[in-house]
Amino acid sequence: MKFYVCIKQVPDVDAPIQIKDGKLIQDTDRMVLNAYDASAVEEALVLKEEHGGEVEVVLVGPDKAKETIRKALAMGADKATHIATSGDEDYDSATYANILATFFSDKEYDVISCGKQSQDTDAGLAGSMLGEHLDLPYATNAVGLEAEEGTLVVKRQGDAGQEIIGLPTPCLVTCSNDMNEPRIPSLKGIMQSKRKPVEDVALSDLDIDESSLQPKTKVTGHMEKPEREPGQKFEGEPEELAQKVATLLDEEENVI
Amino acid sequence: MSTLLTHIAISDGKIKRSSLEVLSHMRQLAEANRHTAEAVIIDAEASNYVDEVKKYGPSTIYTVEDPIFENHMNTPLLKALTKVMDEAEPYIFGFGSTESTKDILGALAANQDAAVLSDVSEFELTDEGIEAKRPVMAAKILSDNVAEGDRILVSVRSGSYDLDEGDADADVVDIDFSIDDSEIQATLREIIGASGDKIDLAEAETIVAAGRGAKDEEGQDLINELASVLNAGIGASRALTEAGIMDPSLQIGQTGKVVSPQLYIAVGISGAIQHVAGMTNSKVIVAINKDPDAPIFDIADYGIVGDLYKVLPPFIEELKKIKG
Repeated sequence: MKFYVCIKQVPDVDAPIQIKDGKLIQDTDRMVLNAYDASAVEEALVLKEEHGGEVEVVLVGPDKAKETIRKALAMGADKATHIATSGDEDYDSATYANILATFFSDKEYDVISCGKQSQDTDAGLAGSMLGEHLDLPYATNAVGLEAEEGTLVVKRQGDAGQEIIGLPTPCLVTCSNDMNEPRIPSLKGIMQSKRKPVEDVALSDLDIDESSLQPKTKVTGHMEKPEREPGQKFEGEPEELAQKVATLLDEEENVI
Repeated sequence: MSTLLTHIAISDGKIKRSSLEVLSHMRQLAEANRHTAEAVIIDAEASNYVDEVKKYGPSTIYTVEDPIFENHMNTPLLKALTKVMDEAEPYIFGFGSTESTKDILGALAANQDAAVLSDVSEFELTDEGIEAKRPVMAAKILSDNVAEGDRILVSVRSGSYDLDEGDADADVVDIDFSIDDSEIQATLREIIGASGDKIDLAEAETIVAAGRGAKDEEGQDLINELASVLNAGIGASRALTEAGIMDPSLQIGQTGKVVSPQLYIAVGISGAIQHVAGMTNSKVIVAINKDPDAPIFDIADYGIVGDLYKVLPPFIEELKKIKG
């Protein structure tokens, strides 16, 4: 199977965050492979190991994001395409989906996969947008994948339970991080990644019209979420504590 | 005068409360800005829900009824939503942020060339479109967003708005729908662990959530008993769903469900930021943990430092007395 996995470089959400004049100041040393995309890479590698094929990663982002491409190659992806942007653009989900749709328009593949959302913005839109643009059958929020002849079987976490969906290939799937534990690149993998091919594509190489690069939504500011204040913490005899807190919930909070 | 349309989601034979929250807010916006609030129900038995939706005051309710909507599948839902948008020509189309919504929102926006903001915690109308707040960076930060254009899609986190009933005199318009099997390439083979009569976490008033500290059978029994006394939904941290101890649909957090109950009781949960991102909007948080330094205590209104096996039995007895 030929897998294309779309990956993104994002800030580490565990890193300290600063806001200055409504803008997020992000530590450029704390940029990582989006955790959901890492699960998509891992799952593609597992299916390749079982059924053969090729895993290529595609990243839209600035030069700095090359290190994230290297990470995916070190995990075991065979090759990569880097669609370079300056990094200063205010692209939204739709713009990324437009760029990727243009890139994929002349490509052959069995499966396009990506994380179900970016861990920084949690928008979760680009995957199904890309599926729609390419007119592919798709499934989102996959927690398990299996390959059959001509079909990708997706276990999707839905509202009512886990849906088992057969998607005829070519198809698109977005992955939850609940499907696997992405492998840590081995030293050998890291060494090999340096020799793996990375094709550089400029936006101007793609036949993309200016209007599809215009975002329809904009982020205009950021603020720290008002933090919850720590309340009362009780230590002591379990019976006393249980009684005290149960009474507070009933009489003070009225939530029982 | 423009149309503010709300999608009414149905799951397990019930209207999702989050849809009615969005409809309540949309109707208030319509009243304040001389727009029209409308609603659409897409379901195998859509007409059954019309009377309930009427209470929230839309001026028109569209119904799309077809057996194909018995279970969620993205292709038929997208086709129905596209037809509805052609018919109703909404300026704003609002959704409760369910897993089904997340499955189609981007595709619908791409299909309709519409601006879209997902999972917002609040939004208002502006002259050019909407402005909205979204939790980002594992819900540590709120971002301000604008979406502009003549068609805007927005999905709203559950618990963001209060229910508000309105004038109950709505026109009902049935939209013809049919879909050929050949149009649906995907096959839904089965649904595992359908929730049945379990309490939907996204809508629960009270949630008891279990973490690593409650992973053995005795811990699970105590969790079940506590939930039963409080008529609460049961949730879990990622540690328990990953270990296969709890069903994945019960996971609360950045990757699982985002909840905002009146009362959230975290039992044996340390409080990693990914978990907190999913429950920080709860009204009252109670944490029970034997580690006095567990980060969950930083956000809990009431923290009990202690062994859950010793704390829960008397706690359950006390609550039983109160419930008496």
